[in-house]
Amino acid sequence: MNIAEIIFLLIKSWTLIGALVALVFLTVGIDRIDEDAQGAYAFRPLLIPACLLIWPLIIWRWFVLETGRDQWPKRHKPPRESHFWVAIAFAVAIPVIMLLGFSQKQEWPADFKPQKISSEQEQSQ
Amino acid sequence: MTQKKKPFFVGYLGIPKALKGFLLKASLLIFAGFATGGVLAGVSQDDPGEAGFRFDFGRQTVSGVIQAEPYPILHVTKGNERIKTGRTIMLTGQGKSGVSGNKALSEETVVDATGIILKRGDLDMLQLAGGKRGIKITEAKDELPESQYLGKWRLQGEICDGKCLVGAMQPGRGLAHKACAILCLFGDIPPVFVSTQPIEGSEFMLVGGPDGGPLPESTYDYIGQFVEVEAELERRGDMLVMLVDPATLKAVK
Amino acid sequence: MSVKYIPVQWNSNKWKYNAVMLSAVFAYLWIFIELTPDIMQNEGRINSQVHNARAFGSCAFFMLTVILCIGPLARLDERFLPLLYNRRHFGVIAAAIGVTHAFYIINWYFAFSKSNKYEALLFANTSYGQLAGFPFEIFGVFSLTCMLLLAVTSHDFWLKFLTPRIWKNVHYLIYAAYISVVAHVSFGILQDQQDNRLTIAIIISALAVAVLHVLAAFKERKTGDVAAKTLDNNLVRVCDVSEMIDGYAKVIKLENGERVAVYLQKDKLSAISNACAHQNGPLGEGKIIDCLVTCPWHGFQYNVKDGSSPAPFTEKVPTYNLHLDGDTVFVDPKANPPGTYVEPVAINP
Repeated sequence: MNIAEIIFLLIKSWTLIGALVALVFLTVGIDRIDEDAQGAYAFRPLLIPACLLIWPLIIWRWFVLETGRDQWPKRHKPPRESHFWVAIAFAVAIPVIMLLGFSQKQEWPADFKPQKISSEQEQSQ
Repeated sequence: MTQKKKPFFVGYLGIPKALKGFLLKASLLIFAGFATGGVLAGVSQDDPGEAGFRFDFGRQTVSGVIQAEPYPILHVTKGNERIKTGRTIMLTGQGKSGVSGNKALSEETVVDATGIILKRGDLDMLQLAGGKRGIKITEAKDELPESQYLGKWRLQGEICDGKCLVGAMQPGRGLAHKACAILCLFGDIPPVFVSTQPIEGSEFMLVGGPDGGPLPESTYDYIGQFVEVEAELERRGDMLVMLVDPATLKAVK
Repeated sequence: MSVKYIPVQWNSNKWKYNAVMLSAVFAYLWIFIELTPDIMQNEGRINSQVHNARAFGSCAFFMLTVILCIGPLARLDERFLPLLYNRRHFGVIAAAIGVTHAFYIINWYFAFSKSNKYEALLFANTSYGQLAGFPFEIFGVFSLTCMLLLAVTSHDFWLKFLTPRIWKNVHYLIYAAYISVVAHVSFGILQDQQDNRLTIAIIISALAVAVLHVLAAFKERKTGDVAAKTLDNNLVRVCDVSEMIDGYAKVIKLENGERVAVYLQKDKLSAISNACAHQNGPLGEGKIIDCLVTCPWHGFQYNVKDGSSPAPFTEKVPTYNLHLDGDTVFVDPKANPPGTYVEPVAINP
């Protein structure tokens, strides 16, 4: 089994577990932790793809809400402090990557003349 | 402007009068920007050059003698209007599969080959028809045309997969196509070197390894790049074959 | 502000928004795919699969560029806020366009071999040790994964369930996605591209995103909310009453990083959290409409006295206690649980 196959097996297993989480969360869990979801079914299929991808986060949040560990002050503290440096780092990374790319760009060496470095007679074979 | 006079947009209410003109302009700008972008990005695509499958020729059948290394090629001994007697052509299977795996295609075997021509300039490849229709092996053996050693050369150019180069994909060269080319080589499609300038009238050369066999996988990192390489050159039939020395392979600055 | 969740909430502005954005995208694709092959007078014709892949790929790049420009534009000039309003729909469409690009590529360059085409995507080019000829596809895979992650978590349910803080942190991935897509383009198509017009368009687009982010970041730093110290009496000074405008707020940043929006409504002062319960939009930059504080991002509304959305809506934000000393407004930095009623402080006793 090569690395590519292993990676795909991991991805398949990840989404398979996600499907199981989706099944339980969207039929049982969601009604227990969000009253706005009770009696609302049409939107639930839309939530399946996220369950496939971020199921560990879903299980953790479900646990937090189910056990009353949710801390309301955190809901009103957006991650704004880091935004300045995120924006600067982001703005620097863009030109750096483009320059790195252009530094690698090759020109077709159209002027290069093929050079003979040994003659027909010198065949080694 | 004081806070009070600033228009305030609430999504589920109407658009404030003061914002209508601005948003209309912004909408038109977005539309015009994308439309212009579509034209610009569309027309600035590079010309891949004329090459491709010649389905318009229809299925061709020719006879010839097989030279198995580095990749099976066919020296045509009984040609037709499209593939003349005396031509040397590359062979390929369907998709990204070459014919090296076909053990029946041994050296000096005489075969009838049937398939569709792919063509770029003076480089021809025959994509064999599927199943048993593609190749009929006869009992006969024939001599290969005498090969002519042309010496050792230093060349610059690009190693491509022969099938995409002759037009199976358009474009079928370059770094954006690199992964596809390597996948073709994994499937035994013959690699072809595109030289910056022709040698003895040919800018395309079939590529093999230093031992005369297939191109070693260690060279695949250089596929699609512009490279310099030293190689022994031979004329086999009317095709140039280069046996590269992987140790001399390097990217052109 | 749904009572019960529904798949997608629509209103006339969202229809208009999507109509503008979709028509722009359709125009791009139609012109690229249908018109340009005849305009180009090339010797050889580009395969339709490659042509389509390029149309969708470049379209997704330019869409992502626009999406990333909207945020800083809205912070530099509030008139752009309506573009922010339905940005999530545009993002989901961009992800779909990106997926289409990927499928054209995978079903062309990576198909027709004996191997699984998705595995081929990973093992065909393994030149990870070099910059030139680097398997740039992996940058595209990463970007697309990020965009899909953002798209699939775009429903309001996820905002509430994950909390806006976690949701925002996840959606910071859009920056990584864009950097990665710039790398995808720089080490992919631009390595081969001979015609400089596309190269220049891509450079300008990417630099516009970078410059706008720097400008907005510095503006925020210069004119952003004032950070205030807690005084000896455990209160925080907000401002003088004379600085307040009826129906609008003053925002103060507490030592713990929380922001408080102090509103003046009909000669009475009330304070609520600045962070909207929906997406943590800045409530203090909104205004009072029909006696309710209205968020400038998506129009969620709150009663300023108890931080609760009007029935039947259930969103709640924390409230704060205010004190008036002469003409000066002070706030108690200790937040009350969301929805706690606080008697407004009259400024003309």
